[in-house]
Amino acid sequence: MNNAQIEIQLIASLVAMACAIPGTFLVLRKMAMISDAISHSILPGIVIGFFITQDLNSPLLLFLAAFTGIITVVLVEYIQKTGLVKEDTAIGLVFPILFSIGVILIAKNANDVHLDIDAVLLGELAFAPFDRLIWFGTDVGPKSLWLVGSILTVTILLLFAFFKELKVSTFDEGLSASLGFSPIIIHYGLMSVSSVTTVGAFEAVGAILVVALMIAPAASAYLLTTNLKKMLILAVVFGVFSAISGYWLAHFLDASIAGSITTMLGLVFLLVYLFAPSKGIIAVTYREKQQRTEVSLLTFLLHLKNHDELEERHVNHLREHINWQKVRAKSVLELALKNNMISIEKNIVSLTKKGDAFTSKAINYIITNEDAQIEDMKDDFFLFRG
Amino acid sequence: MKIRILTLSLIITLFSCKNEQKENSKLNVVTTTTMITDLVKNIGGEHINLNGLMGSGVDPHLYKASEGDVTKLVNADIIFYNGLHLEGKLVEVFEKMERQNKTQVPLAESLDKSGLIGSEYFASNYDPHVWFNIQYFKQFAKKVAAVLSKKDPKNAASYLENEKRFLAELETLEVKVKATISTLPQEKRILVTAHDAFNYFGKQYNFEVVGLQGLSTATEAGVKDVQRLASFIIEKQIKAVFVESSVPKRTIEALQASVKAKNHEVEIGGTLYSDALGTAATKEGTYIGMFEYNVNTIVNALK
Repeated sequence: MNNAQIEIQLIASLVAMACAIPGTFLVLRKMAMISDAISHSILPGIVIGFFITQDLNSPLLLFLAAFTGIITVVLVEYIQKTGLVKEDTAIGLVFPILFSIGVILIAKNANDVHLDIDAVLLGELAFAPFDRLIWFGTDVGPKSLWLVGSILTVTILLLFAFFKELKVSTFDEGLSASLGFSPIIIHYGLMSVSSVTTVGAFEAVGAILVVALMIAPAASAYLLTTNLKKMLILAVVFGVFSAISGYWLAHFLDASIAGSITTMLGLVFLLVYLFAPSKGIIAVTYREKQQRTEVSLLTFLLHLKNHDELEERHVNHLREHINWQKVRAKSVLELALKNNMISIEKNIVSLTKKGDAFTSKAINYIITNEDAQIEDMKDDFFLFRG
Repeated sequence: MKIRILTLSLIITLFSCKNEQKENSKLNVVTTTTMITDLVKNIGGEHINLNGLMGSGVDPHLYKASEGDVTKLVNADIIFYNGLHLEGKLVEVFEKMERQNKTQVPLAESLDKSGLIGSEYFASNYDPHVWFNIQYFKQFAKKVAAVLSKKDPKNAASYLENEKRFLAELETLEVKVKATISTLPQEKRILVTAHDAFNYFGKQYNFEVVGLQGLSTATEAGVKDVQRLASFIIEKQIKAVFVESSVPKRTIEALQASVKAKNHEVEIGGTLYSDALGTAATKEGTYIGMFEYNVNTIVNALK
């Protein structure tokens, strides 16, 4: 590994952290798309800032871009409050307008200054180490490392200072207002941080990667925990992991670094989506199957309770009468046996004492419309779940 | 304590990496377009480590860096590139690297600007596709040989010898090309391609060059452009139009279709190499092979 390679991974990791923190709150507030909107609508801010300063690295660009980011949010909320369109529609209306203003400004002036969409919008991570910051004649590292590093520091300081406020206003706006801190101020504070992070990360890594780094790690973390602190930590870990593993993927494939990092982000989300213990697709499918078997079991037990006739309780009869497929009938029967709900004598099924008690209770709950209680009751009666 | 060990090991790895790079005493040379890579390969020969950033078929306007390019650039002693904004944002990166003791040579920038074709579309106001004038490419060769000799004096004799041989080859090419083109009557010398890469070629050999897309391949052709060009083709009774290796076929096929819609026929004369050479192992993978191939394709199709 040479210095440039280390620096790229360092920059990518810092950007990942700086994006994951505001990203977590955006995902929780169901505003993930606003990061995409901001990443486009800050263009006019950058362009106007460039016309004033003639320097793509000027801090004024950051402020103006963050300002247009906030304008985006204000406009989106204004349109949304009219009640005529929904939030996603409002976002879709606002950012293309601002973005196109930026594009037109560039197109109008592209002949005089070297400022095209590529130059403004697409930073290239591969070249970040070559743009050095020279401080009193000594080389102190890549410029974007310092830029992203300072944004991250400010973000972390703000996070620690306002963690409680952010938490309350994210989950309960009413409570937040009654406790005396305005959810509106917190909201715009968060939006400003998101805007500044987006702009700062632009130069370093490019627009698409910024959006991916904001949303994907937070979305993955969201599937794994319901604790805000844990979610923040997980999002940061996922972001940094994708940044570094994505870099090495690019190394072995000799491919675009930003593209590889985005691929890793997608892969991490896919794995979490499939294998997350409670919200993952496999866990959910398993649970649904379990519930289906248990509902069948209950139906079966009710059937037994209602019928004293021997022919209705014959093992082979079950399939015809309740119209189950052979496999399900077998698994339900086995589950009932394992839980000591039934006994089988000469192919005739009868309820045991326990089975009878369970069924009577369940009937009671069904009659009184307290179906939810059945779930709790299962914990008392079942040795094995479906 | 733990942190100290960590920093120490980090420092050690950093330094050990640095030492590895300097072991190889050959000059590390990085080039951008395939034309320049081929040129530097001819002059530098076995005395340099040559790394081209762009592969065959890569459009220099739209080049995207890969991870491997980082290492190539980090280790580079000299960077040869076209300049005149052909490489877009890459040039900014090269210019920033100047401070880090890397020599960067924009070959086209050192040409006599009065001979260059102006352009209102391009930021630099000059058409950067200068390699289609063999005379300019000869100046490229001289410049490369001079820079290499200065940077690596002990192999200077070899570089100058290679320069002499390569200039002679280019001279032969020039004669051949002129002979081939002279078989094509003046009124048939109209070259219609996807983008304006062939202006220098046209100027040198009296072709009227019409491009569909303008200089930068980043802009797309509009419907009006296609219609206007279709009428032009019919009016001038042009037999064939050309596809380029580094530009998608789509636009030129749209042109062909709109000519057909007006009940005329125009062939696709073949694929020309414009902003990049052919694949490395083939004849078109060298500048000379590419030039001959282009000229033969054009002349055969328009005859």
